[in-house]
Amino acid sequence: MIANQLALIKREIWEHRSIYVTPVAIASIVSLSVLAMLVFASGFAKELDIAIFGASNLAGEGERKAALTAFFVGTSWLFLVGLAILTVFYCLDSLYGERKDKSILFWRSLPVTDAETVISKLLTAVFVIPVVAVLGIIATHLVNLIITSVWVSMKGGDAGLLIWGSVPLFDNWMAAFIVLIASGVWMSPFIGWFLFVSAWTRRAPLLMAFMPLILIPLLEWIILRTRFFATAVLDRGDAMPLFRALDFETFFEEEHWRAGLDKISLLGHLDVVQFLSSPAMWGGVIVCGLFATAAIYVRRYRDES
Amino acid sequence: MTSLVNARGVSKHFGTVRAVDNVSFQIEQGKILGLIGPNGAGKTTLLKAVLGLTDFDGELSVLGLNPFRQRKELLKNICFIADVAVLPRWIRVTQLLDFVEAVHPNFSRKRAEGFLGQTKVRSNAKVRELSKGMVTQLHLSIIMAIDARLLILDEPTLGLDILFRKEFYSNLLNDYFDEQRTILITTHQVEEVENLLTDIMFINDGRILLDKSMDELADDYVELLTSGENAIKAKGLGPIAENEMFGKSVLLFEGVSRDSLRGLGELRTPSVADLFVAKVKEARQ
Repeated sequence: MIANQLALIKREIWEHRSIYVTPVAIASIVSLSVLAMLVFASGFAKELDIAIFGASNLAGEGERKAALTAFFVGTSWLFLVGLAILTVFYCLDSLYGERKDKSILFWRSLPVTDAETVISKLLTAVFVIPVVAVLGIIATHLVNLIITSVWVSMKGGDAGLLIWGSVPLFDNWMAAFIVLIASGVWMSPFIGWFLFVSAWTRRAPLLMAFMPLILIPLLEWIILRTRFFATAVLDRGDAMPLFRALDFETFFEEEHWRAGLDKISLLGHLDVVQFLSSPAMWGGVIVCGLFATAAIYVRRYRDES
Repeated sequence: MTSLVNARGVSKHFGTVRAVDNVSFQIEQGKILGLIGPNGAGKTTLLKAVLGLTDFDGELSVLGLNPFRQRKELLKNICFIADVAVLPRWIRVTQLLDFVEAVHPNFSRKRAEGFLGQTKVRSNAKVRELSKGMVTQLHLSIIMAIDARLLILDEPTLGLDILFRKEFYSNLLNDYFDEQRTILITTHQVEEVENLLTDIMFINDGRILLDKSMDELADDYVELLTSGENAIKAKGLGPIAENEMFGKSVLLFEGVSRDSLRGLGELRTPSVADLFVAKVKEARQ
């Protein structure tokens, strides 16, 4: 069972090369941009406050930490967005492509159940893609910290102190890991829905997946004058119960930063217990399970000839 | 004799169309059975039922298992090639071998690599880079490296040129088949397989028209080439099919002894194709 799952997940990565090509592409773009900025900044006087990357130019230690943290969060968000788009396309292709090229007949000639196959695709979307993205994030951070360190050293700064000592690297990577894995779980009802559409539709999976997400709220509003469905869908987008409530009034004030400067850790903004005890999260997991079951059922019972 | 497949009153309908209509048959170990029928006769539906790919009414057991409910267990001991084009185009040959090795307990990678070594298929090639014939060779190499009790081939050589087709069947007979194994083949190209079959089954409109061993076929059916008065006499014996060829009558008899026809003309065993046409016409009348 587990050996089969590993083989199936490996197959997903072979087939969908975008799972690792996308993180590599994002990492390359970020690194090249940083390098370009540093080269560009070098052309100016040393005093130029190229705030984020020229850490040695930053006036205070606090600003430097904030800048590096912003860089950390920024790159992680890039990965998160890339990952989201990747996951949508991955899910929609995963059970549709095999029917389109008829390879489903070959896969189904092997002693692997439909449930095992669909579960491998679900696991790939919910866990494997985020894990690969976290590896991408860590690699991007490391590469860019090294680039920046070299730059700072060339300017006569102490990279060890200015760069590596400024931010709790492992805390932030752990935070990225938790956020990405939690995002997969939190968004799992959509993943389940996309997998189901992929198994079910005979054409245009992208259209079939998104049309109901637009039409149902519209119809609900026209007929019932309620916004239940729209709220349920939109809430998934912005209110993941993993994050501690931020007080935006004070968050960007200098005093706030000064107070917490010694321990700017992204991990401190996450509340795993709150996430794991959220009914909305578990409700989503159940919805995901129902759609995945429907996908298994369709793959099993529909005659593909 | 162990019977591997046991079907009793198997039916499958799509809406009001009966694709397979109350079919009963057995397939015994060590046989090569040809399932012959026109398009839409129900061949593929029947195969799918045997493979557990579709559900059905009636009783069907394959290797003692219910194919639909116990599909995973079944597929450890049963292999099939559904159509030449089904290997995923994006996969590399080595990846394919890795995957099958990981999920199939009865697959011997060494054997597969041995078979592939005799072909021009490169191990790092992607399936999309291979010719149609090479894809079939690859598929057959994998299938033949699986120690399965029942092999099902649905139009395995469709769209291949004659060299590949000949090679396909000779590999199958020489490198794979033995008395422990059983093969079920459907094809349109009857002439190509009739010499290797031990048994034959005709199917039309979801019903079985004929189910015999090739030996029985030679005993039960005889074709008579005759003309003139002899032809008139012979027609009196009730042939199931009559054809005219080069001014001669070609009459096909079922269950008429060769002795009673001797002296009326030239006797021969009918080809499977002729017999099939005759049986289908007979069924339609």
